[in-house]
Amino acid sequence: MSIKFISGNEAIAYGSLQAGVKVVSGYPGTPSSEVITSLFKNKPEDLYVEWSSNEKVAFEVAAAASWAGQRALCTMKMSGLNVAYDSLASVAYSGCSGALVVYVADDPGVSAGMCEQDSRGFALISDLPMLEPASVEEAYSLTRFAFELSESTGTPVFIRMVTATALSYAGMDIKDPPVFPECEPKLIKDIAKYTKAGSAICLDQHRDVIERLAKAGEIIREKNINSLSLSPEAGGLGIIVAGAVFPYLEEGLRLVDEYGLKTGPVSTLKVTATVPFPAEEVRSLIKHCSALLILEELEPHLEKDLYIEAHKLGFSGKIIGKLDGTLSRIGDYSAEQVVKGIAAALTLKLPADLFGSEYKGEKLTASRPITTCAGCPHRGTFLAINKAIKELKMKKDEVMVTGDIGCTILGMNPPFNTVWTEISMGASIGFAQGYYHSGVKTPIIATIGDSTFFHAGLPSLINAVQHQVPLTLIIMDNGWTSMTGMQVSPGTDEKFQQPGNQRLDLAKIVPALGINHFKMINPYELEESTAAIREAMTLSGVKVILSRQECAIQAMRQGKRYGKSTVIEGNCNKCKLCITVTGCPAISLGEESIVIDPAICYGCGLCSQVCNREAIERGPVKDVL
Amino acid sequence: MYYDIYLVGVGGQGILTIGEIVAEAALKRDLPANFYPTKGMAQRGGFVKAQLRLGRDNVGPSIAEKGADLVIAMELSESLKALRYLKPDGDFVLYSSVWSPTAVMLGKAPYPTVEEVLAEIEKTGGKIIHVKPEGRPEFEGQPVPENVYVLGAACRYSSLGRFINPDEIRVTLENRWKKGVERNLYTFDAGMSSTL
Repeated sequence: MSIKFISGNEAIAYGSLQAGVKVVSGYPGTPSSEVITSLFKNKPEDLYVEWSSNEKVAFEVAAAASWAGQRALCTMKMSGLNVAYDSLASVAYSGCSGALVVYVADDPGVSAGMCEQDSRGFALISDLPMLEPASVEEAYSLTRFAFELSESTGTPVFIRMVTATALSYAGMDIKDPPVFPECEPKLIKDIAKYTKAGSAICLDQHRDVIERLAKAGEIIREKNINSLSLSPEAGGLGIIVAGAVFPYLEEGLRLVDEYGLKTGPVSTLKVTATVPFPAEEVRSLIKHCSALLILEELEPHLEKDLYIEAHKLGFSGKIIGKLDGTLSRIGDYSAEQVVKGIAAALTLKLPADLFGSEYKGEKLTASRPITTCAGCPHRGTFLAINKAIKELKMKKDEVMVTGDIGCTILGMNPPFNTVWTEISMGASIGFAQGYYHSGVKTPIIATIGDSTFFHAGLPSLINAVQHQVPLTLIIMDNGWTSMTGMQVSPGTDEKFQQPGNQRLDLAKIVPALGINHFKMINPYELEESTAAIREAMTLSGVKVILSRQECAIQAMRQGKRYGKSTVIEGNCNKCKLCITVTGCPAISLGEESIVIDPAICYGCGLCSQVCNREAIERGPVKDVL
Repeated sequence: MYYDIYLVGVGGQGILTIGEIVAEAALKRDLPANFYPTKGMAQRGGFVKAQLRLGRDNVGPSIAEKGADLVIAMELSESLKALRYLKPDGDFVLYSSVWSPTAVMLGKAPYPTVEEVLAEIEKTGGKIIHVKPEGRPEFEGQPVPENVYVLGAACRYSSLGRFINPDEIRVTLENRWKKGVERNLYTFDAGMSSTL
């Protein structure tokens, strides 16, 4: 037992250890990645943990472990749930034998990019219970309950967190996990449960999944996972508050009080298990109160069910939430939404300048588009693409360059302005094909990172080869899943793989797919890279360029430097060409010349190749990765 | 008693470390703390913010508008993003260092002046504590770390010093970095004795 300052994600990891988890799998994605990262750091010997090639595979690994009677956990961000969902829906209908917990992290307020989607919808589609911890502390205790619920009902169970709870830290009393007896795997042959062979089986499974959710609902009620607190006298305001919004309720009520406003009696229903809908508790609240407020981030899922129950009971009071226009479906919540909701429900008059004041000063903030790090190999690839287009006497707005997820999307920003699209993992390659079939005559380039290519790019490339779509695919292979915090991918160097694991080399895999033209380039060599891309753009068929250099951040952490770039002051006339073209954060303007910060310069030498006054000496460079 | 701190700056300034140090000092004397850092995507030079809420169990991670007792801003332009979070009677520590985005460096985009920023902070009604980067001393020939220096100044001039005893911060600094204890304590004390 010890007090640790841990994040919500780490709490999920510790809670899983408390529950005797045996297999954990996932794919990195902010804000969910730290569950697995922390388990790798803190792993009991008999626990199996992996970063899988994508979320669907990760889910299948965990689901099968649960079918063999073990306790398994699978982690992902909301976008990953979209990927995993095909198998997940199928397993939902089959149920599980051991315990299967799926942890998904949503990002209301969008701190990491991608759709601001509400994963609760997925739990509703497949009739799976969903638990939503309100705090780091609750993440820890609810995780253990999630495993127990899954095992006792035979249903996979979702835990959903949002960025604010997943990535915030609190002091927690962490107990050493209990010792669990060795659990032997079971091979269960049950065609009616584990296949979808025939309509009779499928219809039975549909009935089963509904029944399992109802049973889970009973256990959730017995254990008081959702807590109803009715005011001593009937009437007054009833507040339903879901998951991560709960901690703001007390703060909001206090603020209302501080403004000298009177709420009268307040009853509350804290909803921690958002699926199944806690109909019984909601009905008690409706019967007790004269006005209702529903506080849930993103989509009005609970609110719609609340309307149904209110209708059935003939409730005639106010219902305040999103559907009446008071609160927004967009963005994350703080005490602000609680105060606004209470004021609307009770027709209280808030001070006019309380929230949402216009701060003209904010508009003075200098724009700070994110760019690639100093030494990032992607910089070289973007510069080479731009240069190749120019050398072929085309304009940048004539050449479609589709983009993908991860650091490679930074090519959309200045100074590169190279990449046009960002859809989902692997989609750059499929989109490139659709643009071709639409009749586009100019060359089409798809760009993707190595981990993203392994994740979902491969099937798309196979499609392009089969249908012989003339496109140039540039795989930017930096050897890591970088943007989510440097996780190991299938292509990461052997020495960073888990013991006994094997590295897969894209330089061997890709040519084996029967593509028409393959070339490997070093993105730090601008002329050579440009020539290779230019050539590929003029050839027919499917061309793949593998642009390979290790992520500079990771390389520098290992003490590596590619070279050493030195300013020759006498030659520099401060034309700023190096800054304009590369946008490298290591370069700034000094008094007499440009200045290169030696602390962050990796010595990639791109600035030196861009300079036309020989004002940056490149020095000798190391071997290519 | 509770206390909410909103921190803004850019990646590489050590702004998140300020939050961690204060949180650690709070936890050491059983004061509940929730620390919510938002790093964004850039390794260095991108916008970074963090919210530290002290004194309440199970508090929500996000501070409401006009809710922060203290703002610590370490980059001049980014400090403006914290304006709406300051309580009307809160303290705004501005460390007016400038990290120019590329477009600003090239003279293609505007950047606010110190006077403009101070005028905007003044409009919030909060107390301005302006820590000037020029005042940052050296230790053994190297400029001292900005974040610990600013933390020292915040302890001296803002309400933070009444909530967390500077000695508790000193102990935390000693435990956090076994190497360079002398340097960090020197830096913190230099911040404590800085003139505004």
